Amino acid sequence: MRPLDPRLVRRIGPARRHIIVTAGLGFLTALLILVQALLIARLLAPVLSPTPLTDDGLRWWGGVVPESARTLATGLTALAVIVALRTALTWLQERLAHRAGVQVVSQLREMVVAHVATLGPRWAAGGRTADIATLVTRGLDDLLPYFVRYLPQLALAVTVTPVMMVVVLGLDWLSAVIVIATLPLVPVFMVLVGLLTQERSARHLEAMQRLGTRTLDLIEGLPTLKALGRERGPAARVRELGDAQRRATMGSLRIAFLSGMVLELLTTLAVAIVAVTMGFRLIAGDIGIETALAVLVLAPEVYLPVRNVGTHFHASADGLAAADAAFTLLDESDPTHVRASLGEAPDPRGRELRVDGLSVATPDGARLAPAALSFTAAPGAITVLRGPNGEGKSTALLALTGLLAPDEGTVAVGDTPVLRDDAAVALDGWLAHVAWVPQRPDLGPAGRTLSLGQRQRRALSRAFDSGRAIVLLDEPTSHLDRESRAEVIAAIRSLADSGATVVVATHEPEVVAAADAMVEVTGALTSTVEPANTGEDAS
Amino acid sequence: MSAGDVRVDWRALREAVRDTGLRAWPLTRAVLAGTVALGSAVGLSAVAAWLIAKAAQMPSPADVALAATIVRTFGVSRGLFRYLERLASHDAALRGVVTLRERVYDRLAGSGARTVMGLRRGDIVARMGGDLDAVGDVVVRALIPLGVAVTVSAISIAIVAVLLPLAGVVLAACLLAAGLVPAVLTLRSARIAAVEGTKARAEVTAAALSAMDGATEHRVWGTSSAAARALRDADADAEHAHELAARPAAWAVGAQSLFSGIALVALVGLGVLAVRAGDLEGPLAAIVALLPLAAFEAVGAVPTAVMQLFRSATAAHRLRSLTPAEGEATADATPASSPSTSPATLELRDLRAAWPGMTPTRPVTATVPPGGVLAIVGRSGIGKTTLLTTIAGALEPAGGAALLGGAVVTPAHTGHAIAMTAEDAHVFGTTVLENLRVARGSVTEDEAWDVLELVGLAPWVRSLPAGLDTELGADGRSVSGGERRRLLLARTALAPAPVLLVDEPAEHLDAAGALALRALVSRVRGEGRTVVLVTHDLALLDIADQVVSLDG
Repeated sequence: MRPLDPRLVRRIGPARRHIIVTAGLGFLTALLILVQALLIARLLAPVLSPTPLTDDGLRWWGGVVPESARTLATGLTALAVIVALRTALTWLQERLAHRAGVQVVSQLREMVVAHVATLGPRWAAGGRTADIATLVTRGLDDLLPYFVRYLPQLALAVTVTPVMMVVVLGLDWLSAVIVIATLPLVPVFMVLVGLLTQERSARHLEAMQRLGTRTLDLIEGLPTLKALGRERGPAARVRELGDAQRRATMGSLRIAFLSGMVLELLTTLAVAIVAVTMGFRLIAGDIGIETALAVLVLAPEVYLPVRNVGTHFHASADGLAAADAAFTLLDESDPTHVRASLGEAPDPRGRELRVDGLSVATPDGARLAPAALSFTAAPGAITVLRGPNGEGKSTALLALTGLLAPDEGTVAVGDTPVLRDDAAVALDGWLAHVAWVPQRPDLGPAGRTLSLGQRQRRALSRAFDSGRAIVLLDEPTSHLDRESRAEVIAAIRSLADSGATVVVATHEPEVVAAADAMVEVTGALTSTVEPANTGEDAS
Repeated sequence: MSAGDVRVDWRALREAVRDTGLRAWPLTRAVLAGTVALGSAVGLSAVAAWLIAKAAQMPSPADVALAATIVRTFGVSRGLFRYLERLASHDAALRGVVTLRERVYDRLAGSGARTVMGLRRGDIVARMGGDLDAVGDVVVRALIPLGVAVTVSAISIAIVAVLLPLAGVVLAACLLAAGLVPAVLTLRSARIAAVEGTKARAEVTAAALSAMDGATEHRVWGTSSAAARALRDADADAEHAHELAARPAAWAVGAQSLFSGIALVALVGLGVLAVRAGDLEGPLAAIVALLPLAAFEAVGAVPTAVMQLFRSATAAHRLRSLTPAEGEATADATPASSPSTSPATLELRDLRAAWPGMTPTRPVTATVPPGGVLAIVGRSGIGKTTLLTTIAGALEPAGGAALLGGAVVTPAHTGHAIAMTAEDAHVFGTTVLENLRVARGSVTEDEAWDVLELVGLAPWVRSLPAGLDTELGADGRSVSGGERRRLLLARTALAPAPVLLVDEPAEHLDAAGALALRALVSRVRGEGRTVVLVTHDLALLDIADQVVSLDG
C-alpha cells in the first residue's frame, strides 16, 4: 500500500481546496500551539527561576511573545485568547473536514456506475452488480478517513514538523539535534518492521480470512441443515473455527502492532531524553529555565503530525482497497464497443425483421441459448417466441436491441443488415426505432417502491405509447392479474394492428393464443454445436 | 423522522456483551495496561516538569538522578504498555466474539424452522458477520478506552489535588466536562448519521443499482443521463447528511479543546499564584501547571468510544431481532417430543402458502400415500418454493392445512419427518463426503459411492484430486451448476426422513440432471418414501403419480 495513490490524487480535483483548507486550519492550530508553549514558558519562568530573569530565554522568538507576558495578567489573558482561538479553529476544522472527502467519493462512485452502465448486458448477466453496488457505497465510503484525516495530516507532517524544528533550533540547538537525529528513525524503523513482518503478516491475514469465511459458511448453511434436521451438529465446529481464527488474528496483530510500538517508543523516548538532557544542562547553567520550559512543552508537538500520519494510514486501508477495486473496474471494457459499423440505421417501419442463425453463448460459455435461431417477424403481426426457461428467449430479444452482440448470426430489416457478431449499425439511431420491456423493468429509483405488477404496467404503457416501429416484450403478462392480462393482450393486438412489429417472449397460454406467428426457441450445448459450425466454416 | 426518534438499544448491547462471556480479568488487564501506557505520558509530563524546575535551582546532579531515571522509564513504558494493552484488548474482544458467535449460532439452530428459513432471504447472513464483529469492537474501541479515560483522569486529578486542592477541583470539573459534553454531542451526531445517513445511503444504493441493472433499458429509452442525474441527486443528499452529522461532531471536538484550554489557563494561574503566596514550591507548581497538557489525552478518546457504542448497539439490536431471545422462543421453538418418522400419508387440504406480505398461492389439495410422488408445476415467481417450505412445516400456511399421518405439520416435522432440499441449498466449504453427511452423520464411504453412482456423479468424484475427501470451495464454487444439483440430489436421497421435498430449479437441469432425478425418485419410492417435487421441466412429469399446477 502506497502512502499516496497517484490515481486517487489525480481525481482529487475540486476536493483539493477542501484538503488545503483542512490542512491550513491544522497549520494555524499548530502555530497557536507554538505560541501557547512560548506563553507558558514566559508565565512560569519568573516563579521557577531562583534568581530574577535577566536575559530573554526565548531568544529569536522573543519577538513573537514579548517579555511583558511574564506578568500574570498579560500572560494569562494572552493564553486565554490563544485557547479561544484554538477552540474556534478546531471547531471549524472539524466542521469542514468531511467536505474534503465526500465529493471525491461521490465522483468516484458516479464514474464507476456510469462505466458499468456502458459495459453492456452480457457483462451485467455475470451478476456482479449487487457486489459493485456494495463496493461503490459502503466500500468507497471507507475512503473518507483517507481524505478527511490522512491526507491533511500528511500535509501537516511536511509543513508543521519543519516549522517546529526550526523553532526548537532557535531556542536550543542541542535539543534540536536530538529531535533531528531521532525523527528520521521513525519512518526508517517503521519501514524496517514493516518489511520484516510483511510476509508473516500476509500469511496470518490469509488464514484469518479463510477461517472467517468458513464460519460464515456454516451460518449460511443453517437453513439447509435445518431442512435436513441436522442443525445441532456444527456448534462445536463454530467454536473450533472461531478459536483458530482468534489465534491466527492474534498472530498477525502481534506483528502488526509492532510498528505502532516502535513509533510510540521512539517519539516518547526522544521527548524524555530531551527533558533529561536539559535538566542536567540547567544544573550546569548551560541553559535558562525559560528556554527549557518552552522546549519541554514543544518537543512532543514536533512528533505529533508524524504520529497522526501513522495512526490514520491504517484507518485508510479498507478505503484504499475499495478504491483499488474501483480503478480495476474502470479499466474493464465492453467488447461491443469495438464492433465495426454497418452505417446508419435503416428505418424498419413497414419492413420485415429477419433473424438468421442467431446464437448467443451463456455467461459460463457451456451452452448456446438461443442456438441458431431463425425467424421473420412481419410488421402488423404478433410474433411469439416460445420455449422452456433458460433456452434464450430473453437473450434473443436483447440481441434484437443491438446492445448484446451475438456470437453467430445476423439481424436484418428487409435486406439491409442491422447487426452481425462483429458489426452493427449506428446504435443510437437503431434504438430510436426499438421499444423493449424486459422482465422486472427498471423505472429508476422511484420505480423501486412500486410493486412488480405496477412497474410492469407502467413500463408496458411507455412502450405502447412510444410509437416505435419494433416492440420487444419479455413476459409482458407476468406479475399481472387476470383482468390486467386481458387488457395488456388487447393493447398488444391494437399495437400490431397499427403496423408495429411486435415480438413477445412468453409461455402464457393467453398470449400464445393471440399470436400471429410462433417461433420455438431452443438452446444447445456448445460442444454439440461447434462441429456443425466448423463444417460450415470449411465449406 | 427527526434524529431524536432513534432509540439506542442499550439493553441489546448489554445482553450481547454479556453473551460474549467476557470475564472481569481480561478486561481489567487491558484497562491496567492502558492506564500504565497513558499514565506514563502523564507521569512523564509531571516528572519532567518537576525535573526542569528543580534543576533550575541548580542542585547537585544526584538530587535529580532519580527523576531522570523515572522520566526515561516513562519514555519506554508508554510505547511498551500501549502495545500490551492493544494485544490484551484485542485478545479479550476476539475471545468474546468467538463465544458470541457460538451462542448466536446455537440460538439460531435452536429457534424454530420459520426463523431459520427466513435466513435465506436478503443479505442477513452477510450482515451478521459484521454485526458480530461490531459487538467485539465495543470492547476494543469503547469499553477499554473509556475505562482508561476514567483511571488516568483520576490519577491526574489525584496528583494535582494532593499538591493544590483548588487546582484539583478545577481539573476534575474540566475533565468531567471534556468527557461528558462531547459524549452527549457525539451521540447526537451518531443519531443524525444513523437516520439521515442510512436513508441517503439507501437512496444512493437504489440509484446506483437502477443505473447499472437497468443500463440496457436506459440505453433503449434514452434515459441514461436521467439515471446518472438520479445518482447525482442521491449523492447530494448523502453529502448533506454528512454536513448535518458534522455539526454536533464539530461542537464535541470544540468542547474538548475548550475545557482542556480552560484547565490549562486556570492551573498555570493557580500554580504561579501558589508559588508567589509561598503555598507551593516551584518544582511542584510546575507539575500543577504543566499536567493539563498531558491529562486530556485520555478523555480525547471519548467521542470515538461513544460512536462505537452507538454502532455496536445498533448491531446488537439487529442480532437480537434475528434470534428470538430466551423466553420468547417458545412459540417458534422445536418441541421436545418429535413426531413419528414412520411412513405416513401426506395430505394437503386447500393449502395456500405465502411469506408475510406476499400474495398467497392458489389453494392446493392432494393426498399422497407412502411411496407416492406429487409434482408441483407453475411459472417462476408463482410461489412453488414457498409452498414447499410450507409443506415442510417451516412456514405457517396462508390458508388450509398440510397433514402427515393425520397430524397437522408443524416446525417439529421440518428436517425430521419431512426433509427438504431447496433450490439454493447450501454446498459447504468442506469435503464431498462431509457434504453428503450433512443429510445423515452416519453415512459410510460405501453408501456415499452408491448414491453418487445413482445420480451419475461417481465418475466426477473419482476424477477429483482426493476423491470423496476433496474439499469443495466455500459455497461450492468450484462445482458447476449441474454437478451441484446432482450433489444435492444425492444428499436428499441419504436423508432418513419418510417424506422428501425436492425443489428443482429452472436452469442447470441438463440431461444428466434429469436422469439423476428419475433415478432418485424411483429409488426413494421403492423404499416406501414419499416425494414432493417442484419442477419446470414438463418432460419429467411422467415420474409423478399426481400433478398440481399453481398457474391460475
